[in-house]
Amino acid sequence: MPKAVAVKGNVLSYKGSAYLRQRLVLAVLSGKSVKIEDIRKYDIDPGIQEFEVNLVRLLDKVTNGSYIKLDETGTSLFFQPGMIHGGTIEHDCSLDRSIGYYLEVLILLAPFCKNPLHVTLKGVTNNKIDPSVDHIKASVLPVLRKFMLNDEGLELKILKRGMRPLGGGEVVFKCPIQNQLNPVHILNQGKVKRIRGTAYAVRVSPTMANRMVEAAKGVLLKFIPDVFVTTDHCRGKQSGNSPGFGIHLVAETTEGVFYSAEAISNLVAEDKEPSVAEDVGVTAAQRLLIEIYQGGCVDSVAQSIACVFMTLGQKNVSRIIVGSLTDYTIAFLRNIRDFFGITFKVDYYIEEDSNPEEQEGAPKISLICIGAGYTNLNKRYL
Amino acid sequence: MNNLNGENTEKKHKVKCAGGKVDKKKKLKSETAEIKEKNPKAFTFKSAVKAEQRFRRKQDIETKKQHVPVVDRTPIEPPPLLVAVVGPPKVGKTTLIVNLVKLFSKTPLSDIKGPVTLVMGKKQRITLMECKNDINSMIDLAKVADLVLVLCDASFGFEMEFFEFLNICQVHGMPKIIGILTHLDMIKNYQALKNTKRMLKHRFWTEVYPGAKLFYLSGIVHGEYLKNEIKNLGRFISITKLRSLSWRSTHSYLLVDRLEDITSQELVRRDLQCNRNILLYGYLRGVPLTKQNYIHIAGVGDQKIHSVASLNDPCPLPERKKRALIEKEKLLYAPFSGLGGIVYDQDAVYVELAGSHSYSQQNNSESYAVSANLLDTKETLDIKMKQSKIKIFSHAENVGADDILTENSKIENSKEVNFMENVKGNITDKMKNIGNKRDNTVSLEIKFDKNFIQKTIPSLHFKRNLMKFIYDHALNDIGEKDVIKTDINNDNNVGNLFMLNSNENQNHKLKHLTTDLLDSSLPSLQNLKTNDWVNLNQNGIKNCFVTGKWRNNENAEELLKLDDLPDFDSDEDYDYSTDAETMRRKKLQLKQKFDTAYDNFYKDDFYDELKTRIEKQSELNKQLLSNMNEDVRVEVEGCRPGMYVKLELHDMPAEFINNFEPSYPIVIGALNMGEENIGYVNVKLKKHRWYNKILKTKDPLIVSMGWRRFQTLPLYFKLEDDLKCRFLKYTPQHVSCCAQFWGPVTPQNTGFLAIQNVQNCPEVLKDQGFRIVATGTVSELDQSTKVLKKLKLVGNPIKIYKKTAFISGMFNSSLEVAKFEGAKIKTVSGIRGQVKKAVRDNGTFRATFEDKIQLSDVIVCRTWYAVDVPKFYCPITNLVLPKEKKDLWNGVKTLRELKVERNIKEQPSSDSLYTAITKDSKVFKPLIIPKKLQVALPYKDKPKNCILSKNNDKRIERVTVVREKEERKIMEMLKMLKTTYDYKQEQQAVATKKRIQKQQKEKEMEEIKKKAKVQSQKKNFMRLKSNANQH
Repeated sequence: MPKAVAVKGNVLSYKGSAYLRQRLVLAVLSGKSVKIEDIRKYDIDPGIQEFEVNLVRLLDKVTNGSYIKLDETGTSLFFQPGMIHGGTIEHDCSLDRSIGYYLEVLILLAPFCKNPLHVTLKGVTNNKIDPSVDHIKASVLPVLRKFMLNDEGLELKILKRGMRPLGGGEVVFKCPIQNQLNPVHILNQGKVKRIRGTAYAVRVSPTMANRMVEAAKGVLLKFIPDVFVTTDHCRGKQSGNSPGFGIHLVAETTEGVFYSAEAISNLVAEDKEPSVAEDVGVTAAQRLLIEIYQGGCVDSVAQSIACVFMTLGQKNVSRIIVGSLTDYTIAFLRNIRDFFGITFKVDYYIEEDSNPEEQEGAPKISLICIGAGYTNLNKRYL
Repeated sequence: MNNLNGENTEKKHKVKCAGGKVDKKKKLKSETAEIKEKNPKAFTFKSAVKAEQRFRRKQDIETKKQHVPVVDRTPIEPPPLLVAVVGPPKVGKTTLIVNLVKLFSKTPLSDIKGPVTLVMGKKQRITLMECKNDINSMIDLAKVADLVLVLCDASFGFEMEFFEFLNICQVHGMPKIIGILTHLDMIKNYQALKNTKRMLKHRFWTEVYPGAKLFYLSGIVHGEYLKNEIKNLGRFISITKLRSLSWRSTHSYLLVDRLEDITSQELVRRDLQCNRNILLYGYLRGVPLTKQNYIHIAGVGDQKIHSVASLNDPCPLPERKKRALIEKEKLLYAPFSGLGGIVYDQDAVYVELAGSHSYSQQNNSESYAVSANLLDTKETLDIKMKQSKIKIFSHAENVGADDILTENSKIENSKEVNFMENVKGNITDKMKNIGNKRDNTVSLEIKFDKNFIQKTIPSLHFKRNLMKFIYDHALNDIGEKDVIKTDINNDNNVGNLFMLNSNENQNHKLKHLTTDLLDSSLPSLQNLKTNDWVNLNQNGIKNCFVTGKWRNNENAEELLKLDDLPDFDSDEDYDYSTDAETMRRKKLQLKQKFDTAYDNFYKDDFYDELKTRIEKQSELNKQLLSNMNEDVRVEVEGCRPGMYVKLELHDMPAEFINNFEPSYPIVIGALNMGEENIGYVNVKLKKHRWYNKILKTKDPLIVSMGWRRFQTLPLYFKLEDDLKCRFLKYTPQHVSCCAQFWGPVTPQNTGFLAIQNVQNCPEVLKDQGFRIVATGTVSELDQSTKVLKKLKLVGNPIKIYKKTAFISGMFNSSLEVAKFEGAKIKTVSGIRGQVKKAVRDNGTFRATFEDKIQLSDVIVCRTWYAVDVPKFYCPITNLVLPKEKKDLWNGVKTLRELKVERNIKEQPSSDSLYTAITKDSKVFKPLIIPKKLQVALPYKDKPKNCILSKNNDKRIERVTVVREKEERKIMEMLKMLKTTYDYKQEQQAVATKKRIQKQQKEKEMEEIKKKAKVQSQKKNFMRLKSNANQH
């Protein structure tokens, strides 16, 4: 296989499995090869794990002409990306991570495919460590819309819910292709005007959902009266393979910014006490309050995605205001600099006439950057 | 037309003043006028068709004016205008440049090599570059030039290179073009001169655009053009406006005007061919350039930038604003030509230090600065070290070496450092927390206590730290930790501040926690006691809801109050000082209200909306960028166009330096994201109509696309209506087709051109006409091919049962059959069928058909065969060739060239040869009619027992008839009778013929006599008549 890289030494090398996902995604977007070594070198279970292999397989499905090399021990991975192809794809995600883990990757790639992406992902829809599918639908897609010139056909449908450990959930994600992305200037986050949400109970008693709703409302109604949480009791095929329940809350501001938070029940197999529905509801509500306090014009999960899309714009200045930066975003900013050479101007955002009394939650940070002049190189022009 | 007096002899049109038509017209006019005057409003709309046409026309005119709005990115101080001087040899290019330089700088410059930059006015600088008559140089310069001066020898006319150059320009983005006619003094005859000028002008117009500027340089006096004409030309150059070209407004590029080799001399001494580290200088153009960009040096190849730095402008515009330039400010910068302090020789570079040039006051040359610094040194290094001080915080005192070593107590007392300690304590705590519990990933701000944030936000210097925290930390991850560690560990006082991860270095266990972190975008809140936290921050949270406190400018109550404020003008003794702020706010609001109302009034149009949005974006770009500090700006944006930059490149081929020749342009183009890769490039192309051959698939072609020039092997194909790519062996003559080749990834819609040969020697050029063979645009980029060729597989049936048949000869193995199971097959007569299953190992298979087929039928399977595109990509590296071979770059030869060279004659396969067709005549079996049928047939159709010769075959002999004596006598008698009869008949016929002839003769004679008689009678009568008339 001849190498499809003209410049010598066009390979970025990293150590460790941390932020592997970011590096692979940015490699695909930038067309640079990446070499990751010493993956879990000192771990009891060294090497790349199943869910990561699954991710690489997904990337292989989405792209055309990728070259992947994994060494025998699995501690070193070489990835030379091809063109992003897109099209209709079906993928069985690993049950170790939720579909959200894979969906975050696809959202970043989707606007730059050759063919509009229409992907069916199967696996776990909600778990504790990844943003759930609901979370992405509620607060990441609105951010994606802001960058797209034409968002007709952007859709995320949850067909089946699947909880850990057996999964069985199914999600359909469709996204139109873009020629280029818009620069954004989102400075005003607005104030939270309403809270919505979904409480779901899968293969357990439907009363669980109602109990969670009651508890969550108990916390939130102290702040705002407009709280409405629907219950979603899945039955039959829609309910996946494992029991569980959880609640997902979204706060919408006057400026159309969405903050999400979620809590789900413990896994019985994990030697933990079985969760009480009320506790789950209260935790979710409190997490939502923390998220609202952090504030910003994008949700903390959508921060990183917004940063990448700002980078992938034309050579124009983009600016967004975020709450505190998450570690994941900070890592993303560093990786963006490695791959795209784009440095963000990161500042505390102080409004002109700010008054400590009217301080809205945590101090805000402004992110300014100039796009890389990125266009969709994969699209076909007839 | 004109008579001798110069008056126009043609008749003028005379307007009629009277007559029927005039009356009619008058009447009609008066009627309509009357009606219109009476009630003009009633007649505004007369005809729907006319109204429609009117509307259509208006729309047409409006739409024609519209252009896709682009974000304005022109820098405040633009780079010098790049002027390329193009033309065939001996046409006066160098003379023109020398004249222009003399006009603007008053510095004599005899030997010009490479670009010359000079200040030509208060706001304008230009870089002049001569373009050699070599297609490589022409392509490179056409890609970067802002303005092109095309020179033409008027006594000869336009040469082929002129047309080639214009075509190159058209493909890569048309710069401004000014034509210049020289050698006009060679044409002595005035009339001929006039005609030539006219002819050339019109030819120029058809090529460029009607009305394009064509200059005439009427002659040379003392080896120089006339001063006035050069002055005029200069004026024209200075007022050129630039077009924004899409390729150049998305890529940064520069024309190198200075070059330095910084490889260590020892390495070069050991191996002359060792890879070099070089510095390239030039004005940056296009868009900002960052260090991470890859670059392409046309004629060398792709390179990674080692470092970029902006330098002082060697040829700056005058700072003072005044009417004209003074002599000092008329700067000239041409390092390759020996101006600007550096002289290039074949094997050395000389640095000039003395101020023999006007610019030397500024000491721009770096090397001079270095040497000057060394000369100025008066103290030793030790003393200097002691004196040097370091500033840790922006408004802290400078800390010298002495302070740190001896006076620790002093630091404690200092106010600034107290604060520092405070911060330090906090930061280190946090850092340690992060370091130890990275897997817990609590976002930073949550852990910072409120007090700390309150303290730090207003203090400006913390702002910078946020960026430092993010980006300097990144260095640690990559593996440069040790650099920081070494000089810090010994010193606790200052060191603690930076001790981010130094403990981790010792501990592998901890290290792997950071390098193998859980990969999740969800901010983990597992360890946070959310209950307590919410209770603690209740007030902060409350303000985030609509039910909380609003800001003054958003609060409905406050806004209402503002509206009730007394008016500005009415209140005389209004206290401006206290309420100035509120008034300002009110005014702003009013303005905003007005703006929105005004904007909405006109914003009915998509185009206008788009335009305003783009304008807003360009304003924002400028505003946000100008607000940044210079260093932050360079970090965020990169080096701006207009800066004079220095690029450091490592591992350049030694030949680039050894064979350096400044008269060839060195064009550096930056590659955007993804453009450094190679892939399959699909292009839409059309053979140039001036190229009189067609192109063959997989013949090497030299393509100029993006910044690059390279040789590749394209495959031509046609995009069918069902979007299938059908392979073509040759390009079609007059329509466009597509091509695919293995080449660099270049954005879609980029133009490209193809040539077959770049050699510039007379033997090659002699039998080449127009060199550009094809032009086109990029349509798609991919990593796989999908060009297909039609393939017909042919087989024969060996056994046929009703509708099933066994077919052999189509495939060679059962594996092949297995691949084609279910494929459609067809007989030539059109009976359709399907491949079922292999029956034997030799490729025989069972097939079913819709009807019974014949053993003589030929079975056909129509399929497509994917054609591979050869993975061949070879950048043209003419700049590394030796000086005398620079124009002779030679790549892969075409098949034909190779055959001619090696005298290989094509041996066609005997199958393909034409031979005379010999056909055996068909032999039919004898017709046998059954006896029963014979009986039933009418006599006519019954077969006769004798042999009948239908076609008088003479070979069949007749039966001789033998007669009796009596019979013989009768036969003789009859024969004699017949003979006499025949004779008599003959005689009779002759006699009759004679008689008829005689009779006809007599008749004729009679007729003549009759005629003569009538004639004489007529004569007599006429004579009498005339006589009678006379009397």
